[in-house]
Amino acid sequence: MKQVDSRPMQMTRRQLLLGGGVLAGSLSLGASLTGCGGAAQAAGNDIRFWHLLSGGDGIKMMAMIDKANADHPDFRIKPTVLAWGTPYYTKLAMASAGGRPPEVAVMHAARVPGYAPGGLLDAWDLDLLAEFGVRPEDFGSRIWEKSQFNGQVFSLALDSHPFVMLYNTEVADKAGVLGSDGRLADISSPSQFLEVSRELQRVTGKHGLSYGYLGDGAQMWRLFYTLYRQHGADFILEPGRPAQVDRDVAIDCLEFITSLLDNTISTKSGDGGTAIAEFASQGSGLLFTGVWELPTMKTAGVPFGASTIPTLFGTPAAFADSHSFVLPHQATLDESRRRGVYQFVASMLKNSLSWAEAGHIPAYQPVVNSPEYAALKPQADYAHAADIINYDPVAWFTGSGSDFQGYFAENVQNVFLGRDKAADGWDAFMKRINTVLAMPNPV
Amino acid sequence: MATTTLSKPALQPKGSAETMPNRRPKTPLSRILATVIVAVLAVAWLVPFAWATATALKSETDAASTPISWIPASGFTLDAFAKVLQSGNIPTWTLNSLFTSAAITAITLVISASVAYAISRIDFRGKKMLMGVIVASIIVPPPVLIIPLFQQMQALNLIDTYWALILPQVIHSPMVFVLKKFFDQIPRELEEAALMDGAGRLRIFTTIVLPLSRPILAAVAIFVFIGAWNNFLWPFIATNESSLLTLPVGLQTIKSAYGIQYAQNMASALLAALPLIVVFLFFQRQIIRGVATTGLAGT
Amino acid sequence: MSTARTTAPAKTSAPAAKSAPAATSPRSRRDNIHGWAFSAPFLVFFLLFLVWPMISGAIMSLTGKSLTGANSGIIGLANYAEAFADADMWRSLGNTLYFTLISTVPLVVIALALAALVNMGLPAQWLWRLSFFSPFLLASTVVSLFFAWMYNPELGLFNDLLAKVGIPPVAWLNDPAVAMWAVVIATVWWTIGFNFLLYLAALQNIPQQHYEAASLDGAGGWRQFFSISLPQLGPTTVMIVILQILASLKVFDQIYQMTEGGPGGATRSIVQYIFEAGFTGYRLGYSAAISYIFFGLILLIALAQVFATRKRSA
Repeated sequence: MKQVDSRPMQMTRRQLLLGGGVLAGSLSLGASLTGCGGAAQAAGNDIRFWHLLSGGDGIKMMAMIDKANADHPDFRIKPTVLAWGTPYYTKLAMASAGGRPPEVAVMHAARVPGYAPGGLLDAWDLDLLAEFGVRPEDFGSRIWEKSQFNGQVFSLALDSHPFVMLYNTEVADKAGVLGSDGRLADISSPSQFLEVSRELQRVTGKHGLSYGYLGDGAQMWRLFYTLYRQHGADFILEPGRPAQVDRDVAIDCLEFITSLLDNTISTKSGDGGTAIAEFASQGSGLLFTGVWELPTMKTAGVPFGASTIPTLFGTPAAFADSHSFVLPHQATLDESRRRGVYQFVASMLKNSLSWAEAGHIPAYQPVVNSPEYAALKPQADYAHAADIINYDPVAWFTGSGSDFQGYFAENVQNVFLGRDKAADGWDAFMKRINTVLAMPNPV
Repeated sequence: MATTTLSKPALQPKGSAETMPNRRPKTPLSRILATVIVAVLAVAWLVPFAWATATALKSETDAASTPISWIPASGFTLDAFAKVLQSGNIPTWTLNSLFTSAAITAITLVISASVAYAISRIDFRGKKMLMGVIVASIIVPPPVLIIPLFQQMQALNLIDTYWALILPQVIHSPMVFVLKKFFDQIPRELEEAALMDGAGRLRIFTTIVLPLSRPILAAVAIFVFIGAWNNFLWPFIATNESSLLTLPVGLQTIKSAYGIQYAQNMASALLAALPLIVVFLFFQRQIIRGVATTGLAGT
Repeated sequence: MSTARTTAPAKTSAPAAKSAPAATSPRSRRDNIHGWAFSAPFLVFFLLFLVWPMISGAIMSLTGKSLTGANSGIIGLANYAEAFADADMWRSLGNTLYFTLISTVPLVVIALALAALVNMGLPAQWLWRLSFFSPFLLASTVVSLFFAWMYNPELGLFNDLLAKVGIPPVAWLNDPAVAMWAVVIATVWWTIGFNFLLYLAALQNIPQQHYEAASLDGAGGWRQFFSISLPQLGPTTVMIVILQILASLKVFDQIYQMTEGGPGGATRSIVQYIFEAGFTGYRLGYSAAISYIFFGLILLIALAQVFATRKRSA
């Protein structure tokens, strides 16, 4: 069989020489690039810092890093930004397992149980931290509790960022649900919430509430878990045994959420972007969202206030997570760099007022208690959320952007869309979770 | 059985295939029709490049404004390119890609040519088995090896080094096969004369065989280089540190860092595409022939 | 690695093992030493980075080993048992086969049509080759950036085009029913130039006399194509189809970059599942087992092809 021939492919000597030259040139260039054995080598005081904050948060973070670099000539932070969620956590685990991870990284506090036990993280040294003026009592109690794992401190929270409710003050006023203090009137039962939402809908003519969840497991979980915890029910995940949950409460919560998605109170099938755009263009009176959307709404110029999600089921509760600093485990530890990391983190905590501008509640109490923070509106209106925050159930596979939230989406999205019964969706989710719990913990 | 038999010229260097129809003359009408169809498709094929270029030359505001338009309201600008070059790591990543691809190509050529020469020319015990094993290994898909290779690199403490990028990428069994077929065609008399003169094997290999094999060496080099330059999965696994990334992997991180900055996204994509496209414009004939020669043998 | 590019061929019955007859003396000790000395550099890399990973991967697939090094004890075939009962694995395999099917057909048929048209003696051959082949030189990430931008629901070229002819916008990468097709369109654009080149080379290899004889018999262009070109291209087509299938089965890059396997796992390929099981789920042992299941599938397909082609030629 005849195929392709190579003979006519004459390369002239000149071309070959050129090719060889390029090859040799780049080889020698690379040799100088590789330096010591070709390993990732940073300059003496460079500190590699990974985070997952993009958009408005990313810009804020960049500014804070620039300030830290300017204030502290002893180190130089070199940030790397990776995509939020699975891609970030996958790469962080790979880098840590590989032995040359960044010196410091941001991690959601709820993800720590998936990293700490396997030796992927190093614990913080509280004495060294105190040297730079950061002490345990500087953190809110729920946040500090969350920073512990197996009796050691593995994560230092920069913030807590609860799931909250924004309300359009103009629309609320017209609907007659704005209190005399300019805040939304208290709502304390499911039926009252439905009523208020319908009032707001009559004013906007579109929807009362904006809540986008399509294709976003985190967003579905945040609202569900807020309401679930408001019932005072537990959610305990222990490897080797089935999940301990209150099935009736869970189904109740799913049914309540589904009742909101009736195309009147809220659209049946909206995604995050649509919900934000709708609230920003005054197409609704309420928005369920993370605090991090605050700057977007300020930019949009909507007249709005913020509060925690109303306590509809008795117990105040809000889903939250914390952006926390962690120390990925180094195969070979550079002491002076690690000191630089402590200094950097202390500086970030002390300057977290500018982080609060992005909507987050600073974890560092001296900042929260400062008059400057009290003057931040509407941030100060939900600062108390830090006392009612609830992190994800503790397990190696839970936390922001985790498989756990993915499983939730797979089974619950069709319930929200009205295609599946709440009980069926919930049971399928539990079946999935119990399968994972039955397997040996890979961490 | 499909092999690369080196008999008939396929793509001529110059002349008939390039400039003249190599079939009997068609009726003008059908040829015009064919030209029109091919031209329309060729234009369609260039659209992604053109649209990316148009976007990269806009301001971010224009890039994100509706209704979309090829001509931006506030005029074309090089802002996106300037921003990407200033803030990004594209120059570093380009150097990384150049270095690792060159190293992979060089090592592949050296080790593949010498083993192919041995199998083609030297009568040694176990050679049939060796060739059999090499040919059989062609069937192993690289993705099957990512997990054990990661573990191996982890154990050797090579994750996040150039070594991890280069070493696992130099086995190209099909290329051994291609080279061996070529060496088989070189007349033995040339070597035998040198052997009579007392020249050693290594000397014969380097002074007689390799110079005669320039075309096939170039073809293999081109094929391996393009493959290494564009490889994604293994570099994505083997490196995490930003200063070590190759272009394709680095680009993947830029996408998330910039988020919705479309003009900058397109500017970085075009900058990443540039090196190979420029090389292609200069060496079009060699590259096309190189790919056609080695193509059916696989990477 | 693992693009839809044509890579490893399935030449298992290659005549390669047939050694060229030695022109001079029978095997000498010196030849043995020289032969292995010349083979040694390749062999070292071959053993270290191909043979050993194959072995260690097989061993690992029998353990519960995690990314952190925990659970490295042998657990027998439990991983394989779990994988065969894992709906996500089957779904990823199904997605991969689906992608292979709907990408291979256009990548072969359109490439052949293009080559046949260009080979009709069009002017400026270099220009056509440049147009159709240049995307092949792009990294997957570049292709993904280009197409993700063109697929953008509001700002993309595709929906703009649809709007102009009055078709409502399509959520190209976010609609489970469409996403795989969107990936295939990008893939065809990216890699078709390769098959196009191979076909063009093969067409130009067909001796001119065949056509001359046929035209003397009064056969027209179409008849000539079907009675001469197509049969002559038979062996090339077989090779291209085999290479294309094996390449498509390894798809990962462009899917991971454009959709991350979504929406809801609708485009997740088996290679991505291997990656995720190992690095996102930390389960290296389980991931190694899935790798071997995937390898088994490739072997089966390759064997089937060898069998089929042998039957044909017999």
